[in-house]
Amino acid sequence: MNFQLTEEHQLIRAGVREFCGKFVDPVANEIDQEPRFPSEIVKKLAEQDWLGIPYPAQYGGAGSDYLSYIIVVEELSRSCATTGFTLECHTSLASYPIFKFGTEEQKQKYLVPLCKGDMLGAFALTEAGAGTDAGAATTVAVLDDGEWALNGSKIFISNAPVAGMTIVFAMTDKTKGTKGLSAFIVPAGSPGLKIGRHLNKMGIRGSLTAEVLLQDCRIPKDSLLGQEGQGFRIAMMTLDGGRIGIAAQAVGIAQAALDESIRYAKERVQFGKPIASLQAIQWMIADMATEVEASRFLTYHAAWCCDQDLSYSKEAAMAKLFASETASRQTNRAIQIHGGIGYIKEQKVERLYRDAKITEIYEGTSEVMRMLIAGSLLR
Amino acid sequence: MLNIITCFKWVIDEADIKADAATRKLLFGRAGYKISAYDRHAIEEAVRFQEQHGASVAAVTVAPPSAKKCLKDALSRGPDSACFVNDPSFLDLDPSQTSSILAAAVRGRIKFDLIICGEGSDDLYAQQVGPALAERLGIPCATCVSKLTYAEDEKHIIAERRLDDGMETVLVPLPALVSVLPGINTPRIPTLKEVLGAAKKEIFNVALEELGDIPGPYLKTVEVVAAAMDRRGIRFSADEEGVRSAVNALFKEGVLSQGVL
Repeated sequence: MNFQLTEEHQLIRAGVREFCGKFVDPVANEIDQEPRFPSEIVKKLAEQDWLGIPYPAQYGGAGSDYLSYIIVVEELSRSCATTGFTLECHTSLASYPIFKFGTEEQKQKYLVPLCKGDMLGAFALTEAGAGTDAGAATTVAVLDDGEWALNGSKIFISNAPVAGMTIVFAMTDKTKGTKGLSAFIVPAGSPGLKIGRHLNKMGIRGSLTAEVLLQDCRIPKDSLLGQEGQGFRIAMMTLDGGRIGIAAQAVGIAQAALDESIRYAKERVQFGKPIASLQAIQWMIADMATEVEASRFLTYHAAWCCDQDLSYSKEAAMAKLFASETASRQTNRAIQIHGGIGYIKEQKVERLYRDAKITEIYEGTSEVMRMLIAGSLLR
Repeated sequence: MLNIITCFKWVIDEADIKADAATRKLLFGRAGYKISAYDRHAIEEAVRFQEQHGASVAAVTVAPPSAKKCLKDALSRGPDSACFVNDPSFLDLDPSQTSSILAAAVRGRIKFDLIICGEGSDDLYAQQVGPALAERLGIPCATCVSKLTYAEDEKHIIAERRLDDGMETVLVPLPALVSVLPGINTPRIPTLKEVLGAAKKEIFNVALEELGDIPGPYLKTVEVVAAAMDRRGIRFSADEEGVRSAVNALFKEGVLSQGVL
């Protein structure tokens, strides 16, 4: 058993940290406060070969492993959760289904530009009446005159306003429930595709989240991804991998909360000495560090399973469950350590606290994670 | 095509060094290592030449075998090959030893037209290895270089040197050695493909036995302790009397002298 990262993984981490110090840290607060989408950073992510990390070079990817990708998401999120999530959504949710289920032609047409950063991707599963219950989707796709016609609306779709293509899930046979769900590649600018209102979020405020409206949206017949009726499986498999990405995002946020807390506890003097010398603070810091480390190991283990071609569904669920709840706990503690100043907008911990919460919700809530874990144990 | 050698040092990351509060001794227990920041500019300058003039670049370092990790780090930054001059005794070398080892390793082994070093190292900043290496190899040397251009036809380089009292531009025939200042360029952050590609590049190992006689050290480090900064805790008011006493206090501490005024 080897708990050490390879030299390459260590170099990747060092590279991302340097990148963040130079390009992300200086603007992370403004990305949150304005809020604005960090397009200039996304362009630089492409230059670093970070937009298609786990995909083969023949599709424009870096040809690296899942763990490398996870390390990049973690370190970006430590600096700016919006940036980390933008990469996660693009790589896990939009690119993976094409890599795994796409035809060679679809891969050349979409995966190559996605990996090279010529195009960002989005993933549209959720609907107003179909969140966790994805099988309740009411968006429908009908083959009409040699094209697919899509009708319905999706909500909470990340990256949608900047996406060059969106994976859209729609019912091709309503009578079959989840088995009637199919996945489609919908390019930006397709007739009948509209991006609805932007949603004003509590955290990851720079990330663009919008409604995707499909009003007789016409796409070519070959836009079907995988087989008809395979949509639910595609969505679930995609989310399995995505969860490791969200776990990494949560680890990054929690680590940042710990970093900030240690720095502040050493600086802040009360009763004539730094508060770091008080046991009440020391215990909080010790608990934070321990939980962050445990989250990181769960996350890296899930990524490692993925790289080893072992099943990782349960591992991904455990990593996401523990890391996301850890992020919420640690950011809460970080504000407690900071006291009043931690409640003020200019402090990074205030942003971290808001950014952490979503990791317990998207790509499967903590409750769904517990269901999945229990399900795999009690089968 | 130019053959370029770029020298680099694997140093303790100063951000990881802690000091014992009581003894002021430096604690390196959990410290990581990195390529000396000055040398990253040297590597970058060599790679810039490689991109502009089609040069081949060899990165050379002198270190104990435990520093092997530095090679991929260096190679991910663009050099074509690395030369690892290593022996367990190559620890805490003084600049005269490092330059002797480098000279012995390079001579007759690596073809070069130009050697690029960082102006100093992050840990010692003695600024001696570059000039001493040039001296041992019998080639001209320009230090404090902030801009470097290559006159391809005439086989010389033009180096702008940033000196205390101004800028000096020198024309140096090749082969030559330059030591560069951080302002000369912005080192790139290796892309993921560059990181992964580093493992495929060539590494030459050079052992102590292959180097001939290496002189002993001229320097002996007696003790290293952390610099201590104590606050005096003196408060001054903002009125005329306060300003006067602040100025007096600065004189008393030797921060100001009559000469300054």
